Amino acid sequence: MGTLIDTAIKRGRGYWFVDGFIELLAGGILILLGGILLLRGMAPQDSFLAQFLSVTGEIAFVKLVGFFLAALALWWLKDRFTYPRTGFVRGKRLSAMQILVFFRNGFLIMALPMLMLLVAFLTIPLLQGALFSMPVWFPIGLGVLWAVICLLGHQWTGLRRFQLLAGVIILAGIKAGVWQWTIDTSNLTFETAIYRTFTSASLLTLLSGLALVISGLITFLRYRHEYPAPYQEEA
Amino acid sequence: MSEPIHNLTNLDRVIHEPSRLLLVALLSSVESADFLWLLKESHLTKGNLTVHLSRLEEAGYTLVEKSFRGKFPHTEYRLTPQGLAAFEQYRKSMGAILDH
Repeated sequence: MGTLIDTAIKRGRGYWFVDGFIELLAGGILILLGGILLLRGMAPQDSFLAQFLSVTGEIAFVKLVGFFLAALALWWLKDRFTYPRTGFVRGKRLSAMQILVFFRNGFLIMALPMLMLLVAFLTIPLLQGALFSMPVWFPIGLGVLWAVICLLGHQWTGLRRFQLLAGVIILAGIKAGVWQWTIDTSNLTFETAIYRTFTSASLLTLLSGLALVISGLITFLRYRHEYPAPYQEEA
Repeated sequence: MSEPIHNLTNLDRVIHEPSRLLLVALLSSVESADFLWLLKESHLTKGNLTVHLSRLEEAGYTLVEKSFRGKFPHTEYRLTPQGLAAFEQYRKSMGAILDH
């Protein structure tokens, strides 16, 4: 009974992704982030702290500026392209408390496990060996986390391509981990482990960004094929 | 046994009509939507859509907001709290009837 009604409900939630613009822009930001990290990992290294602060600073800058520009571009593209073709939808408004709870849960899900792991590795001598294999397990773990977010997106909107994206992102994480596994790990210092974690995470980010851009492009082309021109009143 | 039978006759007839049920379901997941989106999603004709939206408005289930986007008139429809409650109640009733 609920199936068809649920599908109708999900149509509204998924409308935001109907044209592929979000995936294109998010993928673009991820490619930029992954590219910066990868280039940084390959460049000759200064002191560890200077390098670390510089990379994290660049990431924060790209995220802030990228998200701001992407939001502006999205608003412009939707207004010029999507709304005249298939109509305008205003998403459900969230209360201040709901936004607060959303960010709190996001922090608890994403940042806290990482932080706890790091503290555990630094304080428990037995676990410190695992820190040196971080370039291998970190991208796999991060890939799984992103895949879970994609699957939640699928559940929320009913869009099947999010399932496919989840699979591709997990494979990208495994690819990044295996890549680091094959590199010689003898005489690895803490600093090198962190550098290599950056590098493997950058490969995951790059591949995920690429997957998002391809998915967005296919969605956009299909949407444009289906709705080549803005809607016009029949004569 | 008598309660589900009673439920069957007590279904909200405004929402029970398939086209209006679809419109209410579509509007339930968004804050508001314009006529064009409802037209594309429902695959109804413009005339039919107008009639069904008017019926929902008369029942107090939707609210119509007219404005301008640039030079063009723009009409948005939103589900009222009463409409949302009626939709939830309808889903519950239908679920109870079918599950019994």
